[in-house]
Amino acid sequence: MSNFEIVIGLEVHTQLKTESKIFCSCSTKFQSPPNSNICPVCCGYPGVLPVFNKRALELAVRVSLALECKINQSIYFERKNYFYPDLPKDYQISQYKMPLGERGILEFPSGKKININRVHLEEDAGKLIHKNDCSWVDFNRAGTPLLEIVSEPDMRSSQEAFDYLTYLKLILQYIGVSNCDMEKGSLRCDANISLRKKGDPKLGTKVELKNMNSFKGVRAALEFEVKRQANALENGEKITQETRLWDVEKLKTMVMRTKEQAHDYRYFPEPDLLDFSVSNELIEKEKALVGELPIERRKRFLEEYKIDQKEIDVILNSIWLADFFEQANKFYSKPKELSNWLLGPFLEQVNTLEKGFDSVKISAKKFAQIVKYFCEKKLNNLSAKKALCLSIATDQDIDSIIEKEGLAQVSGEDQLSLFVKEAVKENPKPVKEYLEGKDQAIMFLVGQVMKKSRGKANPQVAREMLKRRIEK
Amino acid sequence: MENLININASQIAGKLTAQELNKEEVFSFFNDRIKKVDPFLGSFVESYDQPVSGEGKSFLSGLPIALKDNICIRGKKITCASKILAKHIAVYDAGVVGRLKRAGLGIIGTTNMDEFAFGSSTENSCYGPTKNPWDITRVVGGSSGGSAAAVAARLVPFALGSDTGGSIRQPACLCGVVGFKPTYGRVSRFGLIAFGSSLDQIGPITTDFTDCAHLLNIICGHDHRDSTSAFLDVPDFTKSLNSDIKGLKIGMPKEYFSQGLNQEVKIAVEEAKRIFEEKGAEVIEVSLPHTEYAVATYYIIASSEASSNLQRFDGIRYGLRVKGASLEELYTNSRGQGFGEEAKRRIFLGTYSLSSGYYDAYYLKALKARTLIRRDFDQVFKKVDAILTPTSPTTAFKIGEKASDPLSMYLSDIYTISTNLAGLPAVSFPCGFSSSKLPIGAQLIGKEFDESTLIKLGSAFQNCTDFHNQIPKINHE
Repeated sequence: MSNFEIVIGLEVHTQLKTESKIFCSCSTKFQSPPNSNICPVCCGYPGVLPVFNKRALELAVRVSLALECKINQSIYFERKNYFYPDLPKDYQISQYKMPLGERGILEFPSGKKININRVHLEEDAGKLIHKNDCSWVDFNRAGTPLLEIVSEPDMRSSQEAFDYLTYLKLILQYIGVSNCDMEKGSLRCDANISLRKKGDPKLGTKVELKNMNSFKGVRAALEFEVKRQANALENGEKITQETRLWDVEKLKTMVMRTKEQAHDYRYFPEPDLLDFSVSNELIEKEKALVGELPIERRKRFLEEYKIDQKEIDVILNSIWLADFFEQANKFYSKPKELSNWLLGPFLEQVNTLEKGFDSVKISAKKFAQIVKYFCEKKLNNLSAKKALCLSIATDQDIDSIIEKEGLAQVSGEDQLSLFVKEAVKENPKPVKEYLEGKDQAIMFLVGQVMKKSRGKANPQVAREMLKRRIEK
Repeated sequence: MENLININASQIAGKLTAQELNKEEVFSFFNDRIKKVDPFLGSFVESYDQPVSGEGKSFLSGLPIALKDNICIRGKKITCASKILAKHIAVYDAGVVGRLKRAGLGIIGTTNMDEFAFGSSTENSCYGPTKNPWDITRVVGGSSGGSAAAVAARLVPFALGSDTGGSIRQPACLCGVVGFKPTYGRVSRFGLIAFGSSLDQIGPITTDFTDCAHLLNIICGHDHRDSTSAFLDVPDFTKSLNSDIKGLKIGMPKEYFSQGLNQEVKIAVEEAKRIFEEKGAEVIEVSLPHTEYAVATYYIIASSEASSNLQRFDGIRYGLRVKGASLEELYTNSRGQGFGEEAKRRIFLGTYSLSSGYYDAYYLKALKARTLIRRDFDQVFKKVDAILTPTSPTTAFKIGEKASDPLSMYLSDIYTISTNLAGLPAVSFPCGFSSSKLPIGAQLIGKEFDESTLIKLGSAFQNCTDFHNQIPKINHE
């Protein structure tokens, strides 16, 4: 195994977030009843013609720019011909010789760079549904704009492939071109993998892997394939150039078709569409819309907020979280504390909500207010969590919650002295243990005071008072 | 009622405007005539007892028109004369159908054609051949043979056809009527079942240039549903009728008058030249040196596009489905039984030309030749306003005569093909009759989007000739 170098290239298909399809005006809405977002054009009826949705071009240009591609300003579509029931015209309108973007780069936070071979536009196919011994076709998805992003074979491990996907997805989400939801099919990935002897300049025979429906699936399929190919090579066997399908249940890849069975797609320029040009104005407009890329934001976060890299990466992994964090920081500039609360209690609460971030109603300002009250000891840990829990899905006024629920922290010794006195009196055993030098025992007593104050006592104050009383 | 076969569509329109006739009378006249005469010709696939029409108004409101069976009319059968679509009902209106409806014309039926427009004789139809009204033992030309025959026999005042390599002009020529192929992009292709997408164009078939100009006024213009449709203003073509042609320059390409051209056709076109000169036009000899490559270039490009365009007829969503044990069998059974011989031949030819390993030698080379052919025209049009040629090398041949010899059939489009490759407007008009009383046609080719000059020349020609007023006597009459 260690004698081989792994060579991986990825082909990612991502659906672009347009209102209507790429060559007709049908909606791209997901989860509509089967065959409800269709028309003669996207169903390939006789006599129909495609009309290009320029919005798809805009988004595709944005992606090309974010990936630092060279943009071909005069491009055209081609037909990729093959028969399949989910492909209405039995050809796919795609780009072949002249992709929109070429020779780009995707840089990881680690500094590792993956070269991008090409970025091109095409239309999605429909979906086959097999039910009751019968096959059905849903054409809702047919004609959805797709962007194919092809990397160079620059990845050297399945983990690197995983990182590439994670990071590419983040970029696509950041620049607002795709939802990248693999479960909903808005992001799909095929992988090419080959092995070669270390130091060998020549690439080995590659195998194409399909049918992975998660990033983890891609990684697992690649790991399986590395072992399979290494075994074969060590036994002196040759690798056949073929396409293999990942079986998510059996956790292995299986031959789908060999090179001899490969399609001849007979690409030729789509005569129903004219050549079109990508204007400088469009490029400039999209350049402005690329905005701050995740890698740039990461750099800025490190400098501006000075918090732990690992925490930053978790926050940046979700644009929602990163934006929320930055907004909260505007109201209460204690990044470390905000981050602790965000990644701790806040995410814990979010996970209990039905629609995750979509159910969150609390404003960043109010979140910052809770953290601030905690830091200023106006709320203790427990009360702050309770305030967060009550406001996260409602965005109620924090001060009213505190008042209504009586959450304000009690730090006054007068108010606490009765609880302290009772706690010592009722728990002679821990008191004795503490006096014998077991410092831990005091925590039990603090807990008792908290309980008696119904969670409102300031634990530090209670602890000091308890110590004083016992040692007296 | 007056016999409407002796006047043209524009004159009928005049009578409708003057309320000497009403549109129901006109429709039923032609409907009766179709029922009576068409059994001898077979020019219609289907004729309607009620016109398919819209609310709009125009000079031609109330006139019946026939459409080639490859133009979609919502709710009506559309078959391309192919078994694979034999029961297909169009679910939407073609761009031109919308325009006809908005102009108040009434569609009277659909006309026969070569299957998917593959052919030059209308013999390749699943309904059988259409017979030439001048001699029912002869072909009508193709592929818009049904439309040409119907207009020639005055079963309908005018019709629409489609022209990929001569499919409007060659049958118009063989039937003695006017067939006009506008500039590529002038008429919307939306709803025209595609043959060769970069070549196809819908156009009128009429008895004369006056009707032609009026019909062009209605069908031309931009359609946002066709990306190749030109975003240009359309002139009023009727303004080019009856105007002076003095000083216009006409070129006659020497390559179009060499071997293979029938002597009677040659003489008739020479006579047309003389008439144009008499009317004040200047005629010079020009050269289109790449003409000899046109037929090969055309058959590669048109068949390549067709092979891809016809993939959608797969038995999955519409049309003929012949079941099979597997998906592949379903495809091969449906397509094997649905397509006729010539369709299969073109699919093979196109598939082969686009295959990896052959693409460069065939398709790519054809694209290069196409550029050269276009440049030939660019050069010539620096010197002349229009080009005059024969439309077809021969008059109508016998039914069955060329059926077993596809290559000689392909050559009957030799003079019409180049203009499709170059995207130029061209028209065939009657310019004489052979000794056996068969119509002869001449072709005028114009500059891009300059249909007006062709109307001007054609109208001037018809003002001093009578060929377009000849009406065939069909057996029973």
